[in-house]
Amino acid sequence: MAVLKINTTDKHIINLANIVDGPRTILYKKADLLAYDCDGFTIHKHLPKAVVFPKSTEEVSKLVKYCSDNGLPFLARGAGTGLSGGAIPINGEVIISMVRMKKLISIDLANRRAVVEPGFVNLKLTNSISDKGYYYAPDPSSQYCCTIGGNVAENAGGAHCLKYGVTTNHILGLEVVLPNGEIVEIGRNGVLDEPGYDLLGLITGSEGTLGIVTKITVRILKNPEGKQTVLAYFDKVEDGSQAVSDIISAGIVPAALEMMDKIAIEAVEAAAFPVGHPKDIEAVLLIEVDGIAAGIEEQVNQILEVCRKRNVREVRAAKDEAERERWWANRKTGFGAMGAISPDYLVQDGVIPRSKLPEVLSKISQISKVSGLRIANIFHAGDGNLHPLVLFDARKPGEIDKALEAGSACLKACADVGGTITGEHGVGIEKREEMRFVFKDEEIRAQTNIREVFNPNNLLNAGKLFPTPGRCVEIKKELKSLS
Amino acid sequence: MSVKETVLKQDPPCTSTLGNYLWRDPPQESKWADCVHCGMCLESCPTYEQTGEEQQSPRGRVYLIKAVAEGKLFVDEHFADPVFSCLDCRACTTACPVDVDVGGLIEEARGQIRQSMPLKGWKKTVNRFFLHGVFPHHNRLNSIGTLLRFYQKSGLQKVVRKTKLINIMPKHLREMESIMPEVKSCVHKKYDSVIKANGETKHEVSLLTGCVMDVFFSDINESTITVLTRNGNDVCIPRNQTCCGALHVHAGDREMGRKLAKQNIEAFENAETVIVNAAGCGCMMKEYTELFRDDPEWKKRAESFEEKVVDISKYLHDTGYEKPKAMLKTRITYHDACHLAHGQGVRQEPRDILLDIPGVEMVHMPKADSCCGSAGIYNLTHPEMADAVLKSKMENVPDDVEMISMGNPGCMMQMALGVQKYGRNQKIVHTVQLLDWAYQKEERGSSHGSPKD
Repeated sequence: MAVLKINTTDKHIINLANIVDGPRTILYKKADLLAYDCDGFTIHKHLPKAVVFPKSTEEVSKLVKYCSDNGLPFLARGAGTGLSGGAIPINGEVIISMVRMKKLISIDLANRRAVVEPGFVNLKLTNSISDKGYYYAPDPSSQYCCTIGGNVAENAGGAHCLKYGVTTNHILGLEVVLPNGEIVEIGRNGVLDEPGYDLLGLITGSEGTLGIVTKITVRILKNPEGKQTVLAYFDKVEDGSQAVSDIISAGIVPAALEMMDKIAIEAVEAAAFPVGHPKDIEAVLLIEVDGIAAGIEEQVNQILEVCRKRNVREVRAAKDEAERERWWANRKTGFGAMGAISPDYLVQDGVIPRSKLPEVLSKISQISKVSGLRIANIFHAGDGNLHPLVLFDARKPGEIDKALEAGSACLKACADVGGTITGEHGVGIEKREEMRFVFKDEEIRAQTNIREVFNPNNLLNAGKLFPTPGRCVEIKKELKSLS
Repeated sequence: MSVKETVLKQDPPCTSTLGNYLWRDPPQESKWADCVHCGMCLESCPTYEQTGEEQQSPRGRVYLIKAVAEGKLFVDEHFADPVFSCLDCRACTTACPVDVDVGGLIEEARGQIRQSMPLKGWKKTVNRFFLHGVFPHHNRLNSIGTLLRFYQKSGLQKVVRKTKLINIMPKHLREMESIMPEVKSCVHKKYDSVIKANGETKHEVSLLTGCVMDVFFSDINESTITVLTRNGNDVCIPRNQTCCGALHVHAGDREMGRKLAKQNIEAFENAETVIVNAAGCGCMMKEYTELFRDDPEWKKRAESFEEKVVDISKYLHDTGYEKPKAMLKTRITYHDACHLAHGQGVRQEPRDILLDIPGVEMVHMPKADSCCGSAGIYNLTHPEMADAVLKSKMENVPDDVEMISMGNPGCMMQMALGVQKYGRNQKIVHTVQLLDWAYQKEERGSSHGSPKD
């Protein structure tokens, strides 16, 4: 790999390169930029102007100030695993890549918190403290590689968020570079409940439109004393869905309660981590309970009984940790596994009241029939967070649009039953227009007003999170043609 | 040099092209079609870990390889950089939810690059000298071995080091020189073509002696033969076998790779089992079919050849071996060679063998299956990256072990370099050597001390 020599007449590139110390700190040639034209959401693509790799908060601040002073659009990017396009440079942004700011700054077991740089990978935090009996709870499926900075931006969730909450419930403090380059600290010392407005809550999940997070204080938890996972196969989706409701109604709060449907099972079984799920079942549930060891067995028995009452074909607890891990690897690589049965996929992220599961699932299957595209379902059933995966082939003319329409229709179905359009993946580019399913124009304006306080020139990650005015009518027309 | 210039100078031999790949045998669409850009591979990649750059990650590389096929990118130096900086360690394929064959794509892309942008000047000379002039020729390798032996034994090595004459070499080559193993006489010369089993013959196997392996690591070949014969195997060493071609294919010279593959397929035509003690060679030979996608006859032969190839540790594990009775009191950690763990799925077998040796205490190495940076001749072509990768590797080697065991000579050299460079004191051993030493000790009947020290 050659050491970078800047060879350009573009003064912005030269000036940006001079801000950051060290070799190979900026990419600006087309061939080097191509890999940055999208993130985990591959439908929209656009080349950035450049990619810079700062190593410190001060460098981020200077880069931001430079972009801001010179009217250059810019955005922050972590591992680029986001599923809604939040890190796609649709305005030819300067990408500020946070991946080289990846230190674990401190661990404070007494106060159960850790401080990390934004590029630190989610799972590495748990791996760094597991020998001491602690872990970091939010566990998005991409936790092997996604960064905690990205998790904060998207307010990421994960399988175990049913019991423990999403990222925002685990953030105790943030250092943020505001779009004018100013460095501010929010939630000092990780003390809970600072007086004044909940700015931590505002920044977390703001999808990189209010500032760039450069340091994060997170809550860490003690490992639960006991843990058990149950696997249940159902011949009917309705029975599986009912079992989900019954488990929660029985007063059990599982750590995780996951469901996959038939097409999803086909994919994970054809992929790299198969566990031998039968091909002819309609739904598989993965139910994990954890907590004080003494109560686990009783909860497991209760779950087994609930499932049996709902005509389960087979239900059993994991016989050992290895089996439990196999089940989870199979589930957690579920999105990537779609590659085994389809060249492309679009994943949606609707949330619905649990009781509406059967209704919405049958609606999704109708949408699939109308669009002619297969739709797999992998979801956090416990908290009603659906992930319909629309399978398509981008090489076939018109299929991308069809997939987008079908995805949008799924979200409409969620919104119609009193749910919402995103649980954990964020709005990004993907669900901008669908924001209108859940917010009125004035509600959206109220939110963009907040953005203007932080990001008045809208140079930071512009065009994300909120709909562009005037697209509303077209969307409605598209939906009409689908239903 | 851009592709357009090349086209003017020499026409590609084939008109059926794929986007901006202008030569036969381009990267296969079926290999990248499964990639949905999820990013699960990122953290497994040593070059991504070091750089954080998307195009230095498996996902990014696959994306670029696809982009050339789609006509969005040319085969030029910007494309060549990420493709050649890949260590070909295959950790990404293990991490991938759908087993995307990134290694295969990289090798095919390198083939295109080397044809579109042939090496020039000293790089071409050095490349041709080693890849064409030396590795495929046993005699020449032996001659080099003899020269090196002379260099080491005559005192010349001492003189060169003492007079600082050594300093005329670049740093990374100097470091390589310092860990050059003692050259012994190769098994090709020492043994007949068939070595009979001790006692009753249970199996007949053939041994790949390797090119560099038989010069620098002939003692490992000896250990392999001893262990095999002791466990009832007749060991055949076909004389017309040659270098496996891995280095050539990694370098993008697929034509030479095919030539060597054919020679080996012929050489081992009558063998039932082909034993390999170098993970890199084993992995290559298990992928010969890839080289003959357009040649049905050779493809078929390659397929049946691949099935016969097996790593020594897996072979012993599967066919059974006598458990040694002598104690080798030592603390060991095991390093997974990429081409054994990721390339051939052999992970537990060598560990089981080590655990079967009385007195061996295994210490867990975190991230045991992460690359050491050797990667064929990567440590020569990309010394800085190889060094950074080695540094991460060495940080995971437990402090209190006496030996690091592994199943690949390339890794052994690199890890020896790591031990020396980072002030460690572990002995680097091949798994089969330890088993051999345990047998030897048993035969000598002594009850203490470590052999071969």
